[in-house]
Amino acid sequence: MFHWLEKHPFFFAVAVFVTIAFAGLVEILPNFAEASRPTIGTKPYSTLELAGRHVYIKNSCNACHSQLIRPFKSETDRYGAYSLSGEYAYDRPFLWGSKRTGPDLMRIGNVRTTDWHENHMWDPAGVVPGSIMPAYRWMFANEADVDTAYAEQVTVNKVFNVPYNKPIPMKDGSTETVPMAASLDAAKAEALADAKVIVADMKNQDVKDMVASGKIPEIVALIAYLNSLK
Amino acid sequence: MKLWIGGAIFVAILMGITWMMAGGDIGANDTMGSLAMLGALATAVIAIFVSIKYVRQIQEEKAGGELADENWDGIGEYKNELPMGWAVLFLATTVWAVWYYLVGYPLNAYSQIGEYNEEVAIHDASFADKHANLDAQTLVKMGESVFIVQCSQCHGLAADGIDGKAANLNKRIEEKSVRHAIVNGANNLGYAAPMPDRNGLFNMNTGALITDAEIATVSKYVANGMKGAGEDVFQGTCAACHGSDGKGMEFVAPSIADFNPELVATVLKHGKKGVIGAMPAFDLLNEQQIKAVGAYVTSLSK
Repeated sequence: MFHWLEKHPFFFAVAVFVTIAFAGLVEILPNFAEASRPTIGTKPYSTLELAGRHVYIKNSCNACHSQLIRPFKSETDRYGAYSLSGEYAYDRPFLWGSKRTGPDLMRIGNVRTTDWHENHMWDPAGVVPGSIMPAYRWMFANEADVDTAYAEQVTVNKVFNVPYNKPIPMKDGSTETVPMAASLDAAKAEALADAKVIVADMKNQDVKDMVASGKIPEIVALIAYLNSLK
Repeated sequence: MKLWIGGAIFVAILMGITWMMAGGDIGANDTMGSLAMLGALATAVIAIFVSIKYVRQIQEEKAGGELADENWDGIGEYKNELPMGWAVLFLATTVWAVWYYLVGYPLNAYSQIGEYNEEVAIHDASFADKHANLDAQTLVKMGESVFIVQCSQCHGLAADGIDGKAANLNKRIEEKSVRHAIVNGANNLGYAAPMPDRNGLFNMNTGALITDAEIATVSKYVANGMKGAGEDVFQGTCAACHGSDGKGMEFVAPSIADFNPELVATVLKHGKKGVIGAMPAFDLLNEQQIKAVGAYVTSLSK
C-alpha cells in the first residue's frame, strides 16, 4: 500500500490530505459541537420576543449596545455573569455588537423591568441623567411585525430543528416549553396574550389602548425581548 | 588560497558598503552604533568564511566508510554513527514530549476562565480584607457609591424615585403603596406566610373585616411615619404581624415604620413588585455591598 502510494505522487497527496483532515476533524469537531450546544436554561424565543428582536435589529440597537460579556471582573461586576457560546444557540444572527456606546444588554432582563424600559425608551435622560441615548417614541405607536416573527419561528424550527413545543431543561432541573403556534392566526393570538401580560405592568394609555384593541406596539415586543435577556 | 583572499576582499567590500550607508551617522561617543558595526563585521566574517569552509569541503573531501546493503537505483548510503549531540537532543525531546502531552499541557494549559477565576479570587480577597471593619460612616459612603451605580437609574440620584417612577427612599413608604398592600396582599420578601389581602385582614377593635374608611386612615397613618389618626386601626389590624411600633417581627413581617439594613438586604435579594412597578433582585452585589446599600438607604430617612 505505502509502496504503491510512494510511486503515485497525486494519490500520495490525496492520502496526506485525508489523513490530516481526519485528524483535524477528530480534534476540532467534538469541541465545537460541545461549545455550540445550547447551555442549560437557554430557551428559543417566543413569537413576541422574536418580533421584539426584529425591532431591536431594525433600530440598530446593536450599534451602541453589545450582547457579549467578556470574562473580566470589571465586566461581570457591571453586567452579570460572562457569556457562554451556547447561550447564542438560538440567536440568528447573534447580536454581539462591536462597540459599547451604551451598556451591554446580555443580561439586562435581570436588572431592569418592564416599567423601567417604558420610562427609559420614552425619555432616556429622564431616568438616567446625562444619558445620550435618543428617545424611541415611535415604538409606542408603530405596530410590531408578528407575521415575520412567526415566519422566522417556523423556518428555524424546520431548517435548524429549534426545539419549539419540546421540553427544554432549565438550570433548576425543571423543564420549560416554548410554544410555537400551528397557524399564523394562532401565533398572533399567542403573541397578543403575551403582550397583555407585559402591558399590565405599563402605564402609557395609548399602548394599553392599542393592545386592548388587538394590536401589538413595537415597544411591547421590544420589552418582551429585553426581559428575555437573562 | 585564492578563495580565502577573495573572501577577505568580499568582507571588506561589504563593510565598506555598510560604512558608506550608516557610518556617517555614527558619532564619536555612539557606543551602540560602534557595537552595531562590530556586529556587522562579525556577521560578514562568519558568513563568508563558513561558506568558504563548505565550498572547500565539496571541492576536496571524499566520502568513505562501509556502505549499507540497501541500494536505491544505484544511490547508496554509508553506515555512519548517529552524531552524539543529535542523539542526545532527540532522546531529550522525546522525554519532554511525553511529559508535555501527558502532564505539561493538560495541567498547565492557559484558560481564559481560569484567569478570570484567579482575578476574581484575588479581588474578592483584597476587597474583603480592605473593607473588613468599616465604621458606620464609611459604610454609608460605600453604600452611596453602589447606589449611584446600581440603583440610581430607577430610584434617582437623590433617591426620590424620579417623580414616582420608583419608590421614594427618603421616606419608608408611600400612602398608595400601603393601600395597595392592604387591598391586594403582599408576598414580596420571601416570608413563610404572605400578607393576606383585605378579605383576610380583621380589625380586632371592631371584630370585622377592614373597611374602606379604615384602609384610607391607616394608609395615611403608616405613610405619615406612624403618626396622626389611625393608630387604633393599626393596633387592631396590622400590629399583630408588624408589631405595635410597626417595626416588624423577625420571620413574620418587615418593618413599615422605618428602613433597616436587613429589610433592604431582603429586598435586594428577592426583588419586589408593588403598585409602582417591579424591582428585580440584585444578585450581582456581594454581601458587603448589600450591607452598605442597606446602611445608606437606612440613613436617608433618619
